[in-house]
Amino acid sequence: MSHHLFLLSPSDTPLYSLTHHSSKPVPNVSSPLSSNLPNWSTSAFAGTLTALSGASSSAHQTSSGTVRMGGGQDRHVIQMIANASLDVIEDIMKSQSTMFLKSVDKFNEWTVSAFITPGNMKFVLLHEGKNDDGIRAFFTDVWELYVKTMLNPFHTAHTPIRSTIFDTRVRSSAKKHL
Amino acid sequence: MAYSQPHSRVSVLSTSSHSSSVEHLSPTASTTRFSLPSIPATPGAPAYPRPAGVRPNIYDRNLNKTRITEVSGAAFTFLFSEVVQYTQKRVSGINDLERRLNTLGYRIGARVLELMAWRAEAASKAPKREIRFLPALMSIHTQVWRAVFGKPADAIEKSVENADEYMIIDNDPLVERYISVPKDMSTLSCSSFTAGIVEAVLDGLGFPARVTAHNTPMAQFPSRTTILIKLEKSVLEREEVFKG
Repeated sequence: MSHHLFLLSPSDTPLYSLTHHSSKPVPNVSSPLSSNLPNWSTSAFAGTLTALSGASSSAHQTSSGTVRMGGGQDRHVIQMIANASLDVIEDIMKSQSTMFLKSVDKFNEWTVSAFITPGNMKFVLLHEGKNDDGIRAFFTDVWELYVKTMLNPFHTAHTPIRSTIFDTRVRSSAKKHL
Repeated sequence: MAYSQPHSRVSVLSTSSHSSSVEHLSPTASTTRFSLPSIPATPGAPAYPRPAGVRPNIYDRNLNKTRITEVSGAAFTFLFSEVVQYTQKRVSGINDLERRLNTLGYRIGARVLELMAWRAEAASKAPKREIRFLPALMSIHTQVWRAVFGKPADAIEKSVENADEYMIIDNDPLVERYISVPKDMSTLSCSSFTAGIVEAVLDGLGFPARVTAHNTPMAQFPSRTTILIKLEKSVLEREEVFKG
């Protein structure tokens, strides 16, 4: 089961992104759309189309278990889903005062949860399955790390976060909570 | 923030001083170049004694230490006076000077907002943001002022003529306590710096506004200052939606 985290600045510039593969099993999701899908393997957009329809993508056997390749795990598809959810997030954040917005959007197997800091930074997390408490704890950790990054006078709201320590910390928190 | 040794920087010099400059340049003697202790690779590990000369990284610091990290008033006043002088040398007029002070304040305000909210909300199960304007203004008046200046501001007023104008009034602003503005620059208000802080906080919370500072002296408060907030139209429209 994988998670995708994006940190977006108030002007929606991506500052940091992380893909985390957790050892927990993927819940079985079946999509009615995908079963009717013809085989598009010759098309250049095959990956995108399968992903958008929600087809479970080709499985790939490795020593550590089944790792899914292509389809819903495609990088650009993930980014598109995250960006598309911003509309919903911006609608909700105007009327809801909690920072943690759980399951704001759903797209095929992906659920989108978000966290809005008071300074209007958006943390967007794509995940499969339900794990509200873990995600909340994870977001709280990321928030603390972000505040610390932000306090650095050399950091501005639009600087990508390249600190390796930040990265290590986020990863270890992801390992712990997701 | 305490270093493990009082003169940590000196010790850096002394560790590397016994290797000669020739060794430093030759690639074979690379071990000496890496002899300085590096930052521990696993942050969050138990706090074993920190190697001398290595500054702790920002992610190791505790965000909640407020009592011992207060800055002395004298140091701040001195720094701020230098800020004003530095800025004044690089501008063409009073408006420009105020704009630059505002920009400097903005950088502070953006950080104050995040840090203040984190301190207040991080422990709670469901952290909240301000989404209505008036509560946000109240929290600027009390919490932001308390976080930055150590005391709440003195009053909030709403303009009678313009629905989009609000004012925060400070009878004795800390930044201006030791500043006397020359007669020929009487319109200058160094509280533009404070206005910048307010602007950043409002901006962050999603209430874009133009914030300016004005001197409004009274007999008993000669340095009384009004921070004028002129909200953008979108904010008022949004508030209307909430009312309806």
